[in-house]
Amino acid sequence: MSEVVVTALGIKRAKNTLPYAAQTVQGEDVSRLRSGNAFSALSGKVSGLQINQGNGLGGSTNIVIRGMKSITGNNQALFVVDGVPVDNSINNRTNQQTGRGGYDYGNAAADINPDDIENINVLKGAAATALYGSRAANGVIMITTKKAKKGLGIVVNSGLTINSIDKKTFPEYQKEYGAGYSDPYHVDGFYSYDVDGDGVKDLVVPTSQDASYGAKFNPNLMVYHWDAFDPASPYYKKPKPWVAAANDPSTFYITSLSNNQNVLFDGATDKGTYKLGYTRNEDRGVLPNSRLIKNMINFGATYNITSRLTASASVNYSHIDGRGRYGTGYSGRNVNQNFRQWYQTNVDIKEQKDAYFRNYKNVTWNWSDPSKPSGLVPIYTDNYYWTVYENYQNDNRSRVFGYASLDFKATDWLSFLGRISIDNYTELQEERVAVGSQGAASYTRFDRTFTEKNYDLMANIDKDLTKDLNFKGLLGINLRRTTERSSLATTSGGLVVPGLYSISNSKGTIPAPIETNQPIAVDGYFGGITLSYQDYLSLDATFRRDRSSTLPVSENAYNYYAISGSWLFSHHLPTVPWLSSGKIRLNYATVGNSAPWGSIYDVYDKPDPFGSSILFSLPDRKNNSELRPEETKSREIGLEMAFLKNRLGFDVTYYVTNTIDQIIPVSVSAATGYTAKWVNAGDVQNKGIELSVYATPVRTPNFSWTVNVNWTRNRNKVLKLYNDSRNLPLGAFQSGVSINATLGQPYGTIQGRTFVMKDGQRVVDTTGYYMVTSTTTNVIGNINPDWIGGVYNTFRYKNLSLGFLVDVRKGGNVWSLDQFYAQGTGLYKESAGLNDLGNPVRNSLQDGGGVIFEGVTEDGKPNTKRVVVDANSTQLPQAAYSYDASFVKLREANITYSLPATIFSKIKAIKGIDVSVFGRNLWIIHKNLPYSDPEENLSAGNMPQGMQSGAYPTTRSIGMNLRLKF
Amino acid sequence: MRKILYIAMPVLFLAACTKDISRFNKETKKPSAVPGAALFSNALKGLSDGLANASVNVNVFRFTVKHWAMAVYQDEAQYDFNTRGIPQAWWTRMYRDVLNDLKESARVISNDANLDAAVKQNQLAIIDIMQVYTFNILVNTFGNVPYKEALDPNNLFPVYDDAKTIYTDLLKRLAEDIGKLNTASASFAASEDVLYAGNVAQWIRFASYLQMKMGMMMADVDNAVAKAAVEAADAKAISAASQNALFKYLPTSPNTNPLYTDIVIGGRADYVAAEDLMNPLINLNDPRKSLYFGTNNAGNYAGGVVGRVNTYSDFSKPSAKISEPNAALVLGDYAETEFLRAEAKERGYTVAGTAEEHYNNAIKASILYWGGTEAEANAYLAQPAVAYATAAGGWKQKIGFQKWIALYNRPFDGWTELRRLDYPQLTPAVNAKSGFPNRFPYPGNEQQLNGTNYTAAAAIMGSDKVEFKLFWDKY
Repeated sequence: MSEVVVTALGIKRAKNTLPYAAQTVQGEDVSRLRSGNAFSALSGKVSGLQINQGNGLGGSTNIVIRGMKSITGNNQALFVVDGVPVDNSINNRTNQQTGRGGYDYGNAAADINPDDIENINVLKGAAATALYGSRAANGVIMITTKKAKKGLGIVVNSGLTINSIDKKTFPEYQKEYGAGYSDPYHVDGFYSYDVDGDGVKDLVVPTSQDASYGAKFNPNLMVYHWDAFDPASPYYKKPKPWVAAANDPSTFYITSLSNNQNVLFDGATDKGTYKLGYTRNEDRGVLPNSRLIKNMINFGATYNITSRLTASASVNYSHIDGRGRYGTGYSGRNVNQNFRQWYQTNVDIKEQKDAYFRNYKNVTWNWSDPSKPSGLVPIYTDNYYWTVYENYQNDNRSRVFGYASLDFKATDWLSFLGRISIDNYTELQEERVAVGSQGAASYTRFDRTFTEKNYDLMANIDKDLTKDLNFKGLLGINLRRTTERSSLATTSGGLVVPGLYSISNSKGTIPAPIETNQPIAVDGYFGGITLSYQDYLSLDATFRRDRSSTLPVSENAYNYYAISGSWLFSHHLPTVPWLSSGKIRLNYATVGNSAPWGSIYDVYDKPDPFGSSILFSLPDRKNNSELRPEETKSREIGLEMAFLKNRLGFDVTYYVTNTIDQIIPVSVSAATGYTAKWVNAGDVQNKGIELSVYATPVRTPNFSWTVNVNWTRNRNKVLKLYNDSRNLPLGAFQSGVSINATLGQPYGTIQGRTFVMKDGQRVVDTTGYYMVTSTTTNVIGNINPDWIGGVYNTFRYKNLSLGFLVDVRKGGNVWSLDQFYAQGTGLYKESAGLNDLGNPVRNSLQDGGGVIFEGVTEDGKPNTKRVVVDANSTQLPQAAYSYDASFVKLREANITYSLPATIFSKIKAIKGIDVSVFGRNLWIIHKNLPYSDPEENLSAGNMPQGMQSGAYPTTRSIGMNLRLKF
Repeated sequence: MRKILYIAMPVLFLAACTKDISRFNKETKKPSAVPGAALFSNALKGLSDGLANASVNVNVFRFTVKHWAMAVYQDEAQYDFNTRGIPQAWWTRMYRDVLNDLKESARVISNDANLDAAVKQNQLAIIDIMQVYTFNILVNTFGNVPYKEALDPNNLFPVYDDAKTIYTDLLKRLAEDIGKLNTASASFAASEDVLYAGNVAQWIRFASYLQMKMGMMMADVDNAVAKAAVEAADAKAISAASQNALFKYLPTSPNTNPLYTDIVIGGRADYVAAEDLMNPLINLNDPRKSLYFGTNNAGNYAGGVVGRVNTYSDFSKPSAKISEPNAALVLGDYAETEFLRAEAKERGYTVAGTAEEHYNNAIKASILYWGGTEAEANAYLAQPAVAYATAAGGWKQKIGFQKWIALYNRPFDGWTELRRLDYPQLTPAVNAKSGFPNRFPYPGNEQQLNGTNYTAAAAIMGSDKVEFKLFWDKY
């Protein structure tokens, strides 16, 4: 009953009187899977929290609490470690986020060591977080690190994980037809050249055609494949049968082995405490030549200078070293662009592998023009092994964060805290395209430094005013200084010396690097009071006022208010035997927010000079010197009840938040001279219900079974946009699909062309194909799930425990560019096979092939026109490729066995040995998106949710871990 | 309590230091004031890059006019402009990247108190000429477009103006600009003016060429206006190849011709000659055949079919000449001006010379520009199918056909003249997604960002369809 939770600014509160929603997850629950990223492991474990993790190695995690609130701003929760905000930027470039290639560099919260986490407290609503200032409007993930215990403690973990792809999330290819775009080319769908020099023309696979709507496979037909033009190949100038590849693109993925080691020492005496931890996490991806190595050291100590004055300090150092992160989106650096969209089903991946490793050359199946030596270059696609071994990226990030503080207890009711905290990291990202690749060789480097300093001074009062009435007071100031500097440099026109990746190796004039320097200052003061009556009534009020450098001087200060109350009504019902506790909470809060850096004053861009001509340009976005602070208003009501000696309980919350007057760079008609302008506009409402239920159906000395259920239903609606605007595009994607904030719709509508409908039926035109709207603004989906939930079961029998998590998402949509293009290239299984007449669907109409699209003609009669299925078939509208994103996943499972003490009792030093076996993403029990993982996305952030382009398959991980306690 | 003060002091000190925190928000890596001429130079480059480009994301008119065909990917050749958002890219380039910088350039120059008044007048006139040039492109691409209310970031919902009204105003502005240009004074410095190195006399030639060209656009709808503009322009318009408006790209990246970047550096093998152009080049022994195109793998000249898959090895590719890194982009030239003069004569306007003389000059100028010889040009012209007197059809057909050939690598102008003169009569692309595009559809995001005005503009045409003929396109 007296459970204590840590709330905003490190204030400890009895859970029973907490007037707002907060849910705690133990560190053990997020470190158990040894994944190196504690936060993807939160999925399904906290109500109100939506985690979205793509399948890339070390990719970014989208962490949103209670729905997307800001139309274009940051919607990610704030991370606070032991009271210190830790930056969680997602710095993926816009092109990456809109699927135009690039790499997902992950988010910075991945630098937090999962093994140092004691627990994670998720503060969901603004009333709980208002004291943290504007960044906390999206909720706070508050991390308390492990605290040292008396004596010396040592914990060692050593784990090994095997990763492989889930083939249910990868295409199944048709095996009946090979290369081509439904064209006869020279002869029967083949090129015709004399390859072997006998003076007779030979059949050659149309290597430049990156589709599989070509000639029907025929094992008796000998043709010259791409390797007939590779002098190192055993098939040089030799034909091979015309058959489907034995090894399809799934062969490209490997089974990889990751490992994780960790040691943590801690100890405490009367004078103070210390802890020292080290973690090394080596993550190997399922693509060849991909890995991510993290080294993390953390040290923390407290020292009691006097009985009243305590000094504390904490230092965390992390170094992340990545190589071969997966290329994303529509780009030659992403092998899935081909595997899912542009491929020849006759190409054997293993043969491509052998070809590359024979002499490390770019021997592609996609020769530009095999009839002549100068045509033996890739027209569109490199050899995939060349892509991952030559055109790989690398990156590293070194980070230090920590604090130093002095805690002074002036009297038994008054204490002061002074603290300086620093978060500083430097990162380097290097990307390369080797000489010999399709397109210009290049080298790009991105250097970025981020620093945040917080200076805090707080006074705390905790005094019983009467026997029944307790008063807690808080008064403080916070100065925050952040600086972000970056430099993006790239070569132009190719590279001079092959294999040398430096800016100076540029063939063309070196473009000026793009530099940024973005300092921000926010000064705030705050105060709060808490009145508690007899431990069953409590009333909180907090106030904060911030002044931000990013707003116009006249408008740069803004206030936050929060008022919350709770009533432990079970206090009045002590005679009800089955009721263990019952509490009602109610709160209201407003949170202000400032503008992003550099949105007030207009400046010019400077394109690279044209010879001796200096160029300047107006930027694409118009700044605005009349911006005002934006505001989020939040209301919440909650009920917590526990029954049967706490064996059963629930916590349910209903909330409504409105984020109004948002500072957004609205897209504007380019006829204004700009394509965006900063304005105050908009109102986005999130309404939702969060429910957590826990139960212990069985509890005996030897056996127990507990269930935790979390369920979240968030309803999101755009209530207002700029002026009369009805729509605000957030991201435009290839093929004319966009993600938008649309008036009266949930945030994040997917828009594109759709079917023309008549009386609920799709209309077919006179050619026999579906009619398609000319407008691209039809809502064809939305990215928000109807609800999400997780069920976690734990069984314990003596020393053995078994836990598993089923993670569910219901509803919402995902749009697939992969499916959109694959229709035109005939890769997938359903593009071949038999039609309703039992004939091969790709046969000509005379030969009984083709299909009849279900629908009606313009005059309402059922369509009876049979049409051919080939590369020239009319494309279905984008609406056809918007899929239901629901899933049910066996997200994680683990079995832990704690060795009985009798086994190691002779070795006095050892206090415990745990052996565990665990798995992540073990089984997708249900999904509606074919050949892909509905959760896969391009990056975290607002734009890329709900979009798939060159999607990666799910990585399934199974591992084991040994934990020793000394 | 003293200790508390010790802790508090540094914090209070910091608070005191940062009274004016707005200084944090100052941009330290970008300028807040720049020379106006540099904005003008940038606009010229943005305009040229768009007109020169062959990327399927930027400029697809080479397929529309059937000079080129695509090897594999046929969407754009089949008039599918929306999948890659080409109208949006084109619109954005013209308004945001060209016109807005021109407008800003004029603003900065107007406010420059240190600039000589006569020089300022020349500079402002030149900037205005380029604005007219760019609006001319917008009108001829889309029809009604925002004009009066355009380029104002305080009006985010600009009204679309009637195309003909815009055109009339543009012609008026152009006449005034020509009047303001004063050869006695300097204008831009050579490095600022990539077209004419600040030569005001050349700018008068170019502006008059533009006046003649835009005047002629009106010929089928308002003959009096057309006649007046063409006659006023004749004497001053471009009358020699040395007066051509050329944006001369540079030999090194990143300032090479976009075709070089796309075809040579990009290594794409997408573009082949279209049979529609290749066949007459072959049949009429056109000396430009080998200057426009290379051969196929077998060493022959062959054109592919627009809208159909074309095996790359079998067809002629764009010539090495047009994809040289420093190949120039033509913004207006002698050949085109001479075709206009020939047409003017045929329309009965009072200009010097005869239609035949101008027709011959135009073709000869085109051949010479591309690197042919005088003798080759004469031989070409001597053929009955080319000679003005004996070539097939009426003047529209004769001029239209030859102008279409001469406007090679100027596909936007080629498309405009094809629509206006209606010759040569090309068949639609194979598997065309619509009828022949007489205009671009409005950008997809105008529906969302400027919906009310978009809807009104589309309603005038019935709907926002590509087959709708623009106001000057009577036939």
